[in-house]
Amino acid sequence: MNFPGSAGGGWRLPRHELAILAAAAVVFLATGWLDPNHTYFANWAESRDIILRNTALLGIIALGASVVIIAGGIDLSAGSMVAFSATTCALVLTLCAAPDDRRLVTVGPAGIAAAIAAALLSGLLVGTLHTWLITAIRLPPFVATLATLVGLRSFARAMCLFVTKERWGSESQQINVNTPFFAWLKEHNVWIMTATFLLLAVVTWLILSRTVLGRHLYALGGNEQAARLSGIRTENVKWFAYCYASLTAALAGIFLMADSSVAQPGNLARGYELNAIAAAVVGGCSLQGGVGTVPGTVLGALFLRLVIDAVSKLIKASADVYEGMIVGIIVALAVTFTQVGRRGQAGRSFFAGLRGLAAIPTIAIFAALLATMAAANVPALAGRTGLFGCLVGGATVVALALVRRLEGRHAT
Amino acid sequence: MTPIVAFRGVGKRFPGVVALEGVSFDLAPGECHAICGENGAGKSTLMKLLSGVITDYDGEILVRGVPARFCGTRDAEAAGIAIIHQELNLVEQLSAAANIFLGRERRTPSGLLDDAAMEREAAALLAELECPVDPRTPAGSLRVGDQQLLEIAKAMSLASDVLIMDEPTSALTDAEVARLDRVIARLRGRGVSLLYISHKMDEVFRLADRITVLRDGRVVTTVDRAATTPREITGWMVGRDIAGHEFHGPRSPGQKVLEVRGLSLPWPDHPRGYRLHDVSFELRAGEILGVAGLMGAGRTELLETIFGAVEPTWTGEIHLDGRAVRFAHPAEACAAGIAMVTEDRKRLGLFPDLDVAANVSLCSLTDAVRGGLLSRGREEALVAAPLRETGVKTPGPHAAITGLSGGNQQKCIIGRWLLVKPRILLLDDPTRGIDVGAKAELYALIDRLCREGLAVILTSSELPELLTLADRILVLAEGRVTAELPRAVATEQAIMEAATGGAPAR
Repeated sequence: MNFPGSAGGGWRLPRHELAILAAAAVVFLATGWLDPNHTYFANWAESRDIILRNTALLGIIALGASVVIIAGGIDLSAGSMVAFSATTCALVLTLCAAPDDRRLVTVGPAGIAAAIAAALLSGLLVGTLHTWLITAIRLPPFVATLATLVGLRSFARAMCLFVTKERWGSESQQINVNTPFFAWLKEHNVWIMTATFLLLAVVTWLILSRTVLGRHLYALGGNEQAARLSGIRTENVKWFAYCYASLTAALAGIFLMADSSVAQPGNLARGYELNAIAAAVVGGCSLQGGVGTVPGTVLGALFLRLVIDAVSKLIKASADVYEGMIVGIIVALAVTFTQVGRRGQAGRSFFAGLRGLAAIPTIAIFAALLATMAAANVPALAGRTGLFGCLVGGATVVALALVRRLEGRHAT
Repeated sequence: MTPIVAFRGVGKRFPGVVALEGVSFDLAPGECHAICGENGAGKSTLMKLLSGVITDYDGEILVRGVPARFCGTRDAEAAGIAIIHQELNLVEQLSAAANIFLGRERRTPSGLLDDAAMEREAAALLAELECPVDPRTPAGSLRVGDQQLLEIAKAMSLASDVLIMDEPTSALTDAEVARLDRVIARLRGRGVSLLYISHKMDEVFRLADRITVLRDGRVVTTVDRAATTPREITGWMVGRDIAGHEFHGPRSPGQKVLEVRGLSLPWPDHPRGYRLHDVSFELRAGEILGVAGLMGAGRTELLETIFGAVEPTWTGEIHLDGRAVRFAHPAEACAAGIAMVTEDRKRLGLFPDLDVAANVSLCSLTDAVRGGLLSRGREEALVAAPLRETGVKTPGPHAAITGLSGGNQQKCIIGRWLLVKPRILLLDDPTRGIDVGAKAELYALIDRLCREGLAVILTSSELPELLTLADRILVLAEGRVTAELPRAVATEQAIMEAATGGAPAR
């Protein structure tokens, strides 16, 4: 296997990957032990299915995201791409079903195949559009994919209204999919999605580390000008990268549609793109390009989902309320640790000067508020949530002040 | 009279390189003092010391007789020293007035920005400099000549009495140069002292009172303009010991492989209008053609045009083996048997995240494929030969490329191109930033490759290198060929005269 910085090179200890694996194991065991119901140990099968399903869904998109990031780009459009692909799939099913069949149960095998093909094709189209915007119009990747992030979802909604009106005579914001094949897919979603994810991971890994194209992706991300001057057709390599990202998102769109039995372009998969990018970054991909691995991304996705699941278990709140916060904190911490590990960063102080001083109460206030809210879900702390929050806030101030003191001593 | 600035034994070392050593000279009040020297002679480093960009150096700099040690450009500005860099430092989105007062913005009594006052002052300064621009125009939309005057206006608003100008005319039209001359005369009338860096002899002799020549980081001499000639100055600029490299006998060039006729490369939005103009030459197998020229003369552009690395907007003809070619992408040039080792190794050549083997095999990866997948064993076998041939010292094929020395990195890149078995090798300043020992090894390697029948075009900012290696030397000045010298008659003096736009010898 190949690991960061050694694309095609010799084997070295995959430290980053092992660190994530260890962190994931710690989170898993700690949650199992701290959770009052010990769900992980008592009801393993259910927990396993939830984690696997969510990891696979996130991971499929993250694999595409990591290919683009390694190639030195960024794809912000994944969430909208998921919705676009799901809508495309459902609309083709609508057209293939009997005209009065609003549950889409009458679609035959040919219609299902056509719908899946159309969804995947929509991915290729969007990937090609991105490449054209980036290489011919010379938009920065951030802008090009921001435009499609906003545009594709709206496009999917308009498409949904138009086709339903034409087909059924009345507009609909969503399409229910009760086609037997997709119902079957939903029933077996955990294993089918996990298997697809792992297969896709192996394919992506082979491409990245064992093909000429993969080497060119690393070269492009590491030094685009040098890659071009080495005779690499960088535009074509970009084309592959953006199509791969859109295609994986399109694949996730089919699964998500099957899983929820509905294609609702307005809200489906909102914000997924950022989680996918976060998983890639936690897994060791550098947003500067040229660095990253498939095992890292897979573990990054697993770790993110594990922590999200752990928090929902521990504080008995709905997972999606805390999801964004968790992802944000983990990304910040993961990148901090990777940077501290690199040379030249070791002696840096985090709390120097006036800005450093201002950061201490800032972090403490956030920590105190978070602790107060979290304590509300813990029975043992009932009625004392405010006190608990204040204690956590105070402890944060003391701890950070101590860090600042130590840094000051090192500096002089 | 106390000199306004005095350098006393100033030295500066960078890792592995001595940039300046024992530099001593004075700048008298109100004088225009030219600093001349080849590329890499230490001119820019010296100016960076004086303007506070580099704060760590040996020796001392006296300003008005008092030792000064600036901790940044703000310090130097406060002491009345301002620098107009070759690469201008303007915030392009901000207005001309805002740029002049950047960091020292005028405020109204209520603490808000006083744009009216700044624009009024800016307008007065610009009018004095014959610069007819509205102070509200964004700096980025001004012509280069006006941008430069904007920098001068900034220096004037700081009441600077020492002004450093680094190659100020390199991007100016003739009319703008004439205006700059008048501005300089006016500044001197106000008692401002100028340090004027240039390698253009006509300018130096038009403007300067005294001339200091730097070579390899040392002062060769400081002379009055009246007491010298351009020829003498260029002689001082180049006259150094040439490291002895002798190769075994003359090479015998074979068939003509490349012919360039009337090659011109346009340069839109630049007063000169072209990067290259009417360049013609031919290249034979087993021959090294040297291309000499100062910074901005068009050496790199010439190689990039042949290699298909620029937008194909050029006119003229390039014939490869008698067949007209027009490459639109380096990949096409590679396929036709042309390889190019780029000038700036870090920026244009190296892949820091890839290991040594991957850096070397990059252009010939298809040879390492077995059954559709890259084979580690094949790749190692593939790169073994070029690594051995170029004599790269590496702990192993999978070591980090960033861990190697500059010379070894360069050998890896040459090895990368040898693997594609080129017939023409373009080398753009291949020994820049490489230590002496590695240079000698590279010279021997280039000589051997050439004797094996490779046709080589070599550019270099070091004349001795060209004289050591090249069979013929083409001299470029501002995009034109000003001389083509066979080795037998080429001397550093002749090349430097042609490169500084002196007597066009042929």
